[in-house]
Amino acid sequence: MNKTTSIATLFIVVMAVFPFLVDSAWLSIGITFLVFAVVAFSQDIILGRAGIFNMGHAIFFGMGAYTTAILNVHFGFEIIATIPFAIIVPVIFSILLAGPIIHLRGDYLLVATIGFNIIFEQVLKNNVFGVTGGPNGIFGIDVVRVFGYELWSDTAIYYMAFGLLLITFLIIRNLDTSKYGRALYYINKNEIAAKSMGINISYYKLFAFALGAAIAGAAGCVFAIQYSAVSPESFNFMQSVMFFAIVLVGGSASLPGIIIGTFVMFVLPELFTEFKESRYLIFGAAMVLTMILRPNGVWPATFGNIPTFLKKKAAKLKGSK
Amino acid sequence: MKYVLEIENVSKFFHGLVAIDDLTIKVKPGQIYGIIGPNGAGKTTLFNCVTGIYTPEKGTIKYKGENITGMEPHKIAQRGVLRTFQNIRLFKEMSVAENIIAGCHTKSNQKWYHSIIHTPFYKKDEKKQWEKVGELMDFFGISKFADTPAGDLSYGNQRKVEMARALAADPEILILDEPAAGLNENETIELTNIILKIKEKGLGIMMIEHDMEMVMKLTDYITVINFGKEISQGEPSFVQEDPRVIEAYIGTDDEEDE
Repeated sequence: MNKTTSIATLFIVVMAVFPFLVDSAWLSIGITFLVFAVVAFSQDIILGRAGIFNMGHAIFFGMGAYTTAILNVHFGFEIIATIPFAIIVPVIFSILLAGPIIHLRGDYLLVATIGFNIIFEQVLKNNVFGVTGGPNGIFGIDVVRVFGYELWSDTAIYYMAFGLLLITFLIIRNLDTSKYGRALYYINKNEIAAKSMGINISYYKLFAFALGAAIAGAAGCVFAIQYSAVSPESFNFMQSVMFFAIVLVGGSASLPGIIIGTFVMFVLPELFTEFKESRYLIFGAAMVLTMILRPNGVWPATFGNIPTFLKKKAAKLKGSK
Repeated sequence: MKYVLEIENVSKFFHGLVAIDDLTIKVKPGQIYGIIGPNGAGKTTLFNCVTGIYTPEKGTIKYKGENITGMEPHKIAQRGVLRTFQNIRLFKEMSVAENIIAGCHTKSNQKWYHSIIHTPFYKKDEKKQWEKVGELMDFFGISKFADTPAGDLSYGNQRKVEMARALAADPEILILDEPAAGLNENETIELTNIILKIKEKGLGIMMIEHDMEMVMKLTDYITVINFGKEISQGEPSFVQEDPRVIEAYIGTDDEEDE
């Protein structure tokens, strides 16, 4: 077992037993940490892998959460039944919103996505269609019921979030070793070369958006379950900035990097709650210091994801010389 | 099929200035076609028109009889027109093998859901691609660099990776933009032999090159351009003796093109 695998295993084991080690306040932070980590991973597909400067990721997270809330509170859907919608709705909107701007260069696209995020927040606050509940959001979301069991405890919700994180890991691992996943890297590393290899840039960028939105939407659903309420502030521009920063601070396209990023940007400020607002100094300082000292993130991604038979051959040839 | 690539009366302007002017070039399968000319003559511009990076204002470009003028670059590449770049464009942080498999992109039938769930079809498809990458690395003698980041290789080896990546797409036209630029003498000889071996595969090769020794050795047919215009064309021995070519080359220097 190599170093990375052992660290990953250790992380998973610690996270699996975490609810038995902590009090309820920390369990709640643990759930949000897992949810935010999933959202950060989904942003990493768009920003870290495809290299798209998406500064509106909270939109898709929020759409997932609001879809669950609206369907449950206004239309009486079981929470479980809202999950497919919490995934599909953000996917559809990601394609509709990103479609017209996908060809834009990084900085222009960034400004456009900020615009989308501001519009999204206004739509929620102004109670458009009378279902978003205005500035206060939506309260009284049901508990999850599966086969007659009511999963109301924080421990149960923790494991839902944990399960979602494991699924996200699996998807990203599969993505990395597929044609689509590699195409995202190629586009990010050298767009002209990627084009010249027959890669349809816009198509794969939209794919990154759709996959990122799907995962963020699922995370939004768990977020709505955790707080049994949703409100516009949770999905505003500042939240998008946080997800953007997590990816860059942690390390683009790096699994451990994103976990570290989420920890630094979300859990550390929670550790210092007695410092009130000034604890966000950590948030700011972490961003500044990382960009200066480690421009590729705290734990940068490594490449070389190739089959063993090629690795072995290379090692043999190097050895013989 | 007589010609695999037909460039007919193509002109390209930048802000009203002529970059290439009424060029006609026809490439046969199995032929190495040289494009030579002084710097700034429009050679790379011509290649950018063929590969869809630029759209020419006049004329048509046909690939296997199909009009590809003004098509998007990825669509032209999907049809089988692949290229390398004068100023090497590799995915530098990624390993050599990962760079080469990029060329397999158009040959793979993986769908979007294979990036989420790895089906048996995915495994078969993936295996086929990596085996091809292995073969290409053997062909170019770079197998030992399979897991090395492409950016860490010597210039000569980076050129090989770029060619291997283009060949992975099974092109019928391979466009080489100054393959010997920045290489030392030994590397140039090695590359010349590799290009001759590629030619045996029966594809058409178009190349820009300043190294005249290499051009004379490799090419079957040459077009000489200056200020975007054709000044001569023919077999290497003919072009070499053409007074118009000699005149164009007097007083010009070997600076960077583009």
